[in-house]
Amino acid sequence: MADQEQPKTELESSTPLEQPGSTVTQVRTYKAKGRIVGMSIAVLAIWAALYIVASAIPALPVPGMAGMITLNAIMTAISGMILGPAAAIANAAGGIVSMILFPYGFSAGPLGFLTVTMGGLVAGLFMANKWVLAAIAEILIIGSWFVNPQSWQTGMWMVPLPYSAIALLVIVIKPVRDWVRNAIITQNKKTMWLAVFMMCIIGHAAEFLTTNTMVNWMFNLSWQYWVPTLPYWIMVDTVVILASTIVGVGVLVGLKKARLPLFPTILEK
Amino acid sequence: MFSVSLKSRNSPLQKLDGRTKLIFLAVIFILVLLFTDLLYITALLALVLAAWFIAKLPTQPLKEMMQFFLWIAVIILIVQVFFYPGTTNLVHISKPVPAIGFSGYLTLEGILFGLAMVLRLVVIMIVAPLMVMTTPLPELMLALVKLKIPYKFAFIMTTALSLLPSIQNRSAIIQQAQLCRGISYDSGGKFITKLKASVSLLIPLILGAFRDSQTLEVAMNSRAFGAPIKRTFLLESRFTPVDILVIAGAFMLLTIGVMLRIRGFGVY
Repeated sequence: MADQEQPKTELESSTPLEQPGSTVTQVRTYKAKGRIVGMSIAVLAIWAALYIVASAIPALPVPGMAGMITLNAIMTAISGMILGPAAAIANAAGGIVSMILFPYGFSAGPLGFLTVTMGGLVAGLFMANKWVLAAIAEILIIGSWFVNPQSWQTGMWMVPLPYSAIALLVIVIKPVRDWVRNAIITQNKKTMWLAVFMMCIIGHAAEFLTTNTMVNWMFNLSWQYWVPTLPYWIMVDTVVILASTIVGVGVLVGLKKARLPLFPTILEK
Repeated sequence: MFSVSLKSRNSPLQKLDGRTKLIFLAVIFILVLLFTDLLYITALLALVLAAWFIAKLPTQPLKEMMQFFLWIAVIILIVQVFFYPGTTNLVHISKPVPAIGFSGYLTLEGILFGLAMVLRLVVIMIVAPLMVMTTPLPELMLALVKLKIPYKFAFIMTTALSLLPSIQNRSAIIQQAQLCRGISYDSGGKFITKLKASVSLLIPLILGAFRDSQTLEVAMNSRAFGAPIKRTFLLESRFTPVDILVIAGAFMLLTIGVMLRIRGFGVY
């Protein structure tokens, strides 16, 4: 069987016909390649489509911001724990298309999709237990805020503090990290809510700080804008994270019960 | 809420290749971020508006977008006008307030910089819709693939686009079902009501869509998705001499812009 000696890269022999001495013609089937970091491309496409639809549904009007918070803010926060690191790709695809169709939700302009990509990436890496990469990404996001000379002004160091600092601590401290991941993977009824809340902090913090950094570079906003409005933004972020927690728990439980594709289930196996 | 769709037909811009328009978009975006001088940003805005009118696009979307970004434009203007560290005093407002960094005067530099930042916002916000309104989405996706974006990524985008109507339909059905159960989606409702409405929409929407993904996955596998074959496309795009001219012009503009910036022009 000459085919058996070939490296099994693109094409693989189908197992039932590989009997020694078999005279049956070899049937060659194609090994499915439709996965990215363990998640099916079909699921990622569906998520991207959901993301686009969510971009068109206004959830909360936000004075002082370009437009309003649409449901995609919730989807970004929960994407990492549902799709794993592949959430970055699904969010990027959905972000690019929704930015084209509904440009009002992206104050960072054509590069606005990067913010949701970072949100999915950090949370997804954390969920996949690639915590070093997640921590590096989070440090880069926080660092990019401080690279801008505008951020060296009075009180500007406080802007990334509330949720990005918490996110970084959750990623770096091993007992907390393990507890959050285990509670989500095992869907522990008592601890799951808090764990999902932590995950939503990680996803949302990466997104909103990337947005803040990009907006700061583009429009040179000084401390007179950022510092007085900080309590307001903390409130907005808290609302988004709380809403994401409620949706996140519902989706995690629902997907597991229905035995539908879910990254924590893949990890559990 | 308004969305952006193809509006320009039979215009010179619509006939350009999708890649040409993407390159033009990138060049304008880079240039508008390079400069902080009002004059340079006004010139870029004029260029984008000229393209808008050459494409025979209606002005209504421009007005809608301006209304949408009015809030942030006003905030940017106020912050820069009052707090930009200028030297040419124009109007005396009050005594200096060092605690908030206000000198007591409105300065010429503050006003010019504030206007420049507002115009930068306008350019950033209208340049992407300009491209979308002159390019059918399948052509745009093809342009992304031709620009060597990984096929799997392009597939996710195109599939998401084709699934959009069915998911929008599902979303409308869920909203109707939840309305029957007494959940209000009224925009005038209370904050908590809106939050509840968002939750009651998103959870069934995500679960239902994920169920559909199973069918899509089977269909993809049965058609040997990712098989090592040379992929062909229903639509074909080729550069015309006009495309090459526009791309050359865009790169020339970018080179001149970068040179000017290096020599210290175009910034305060």
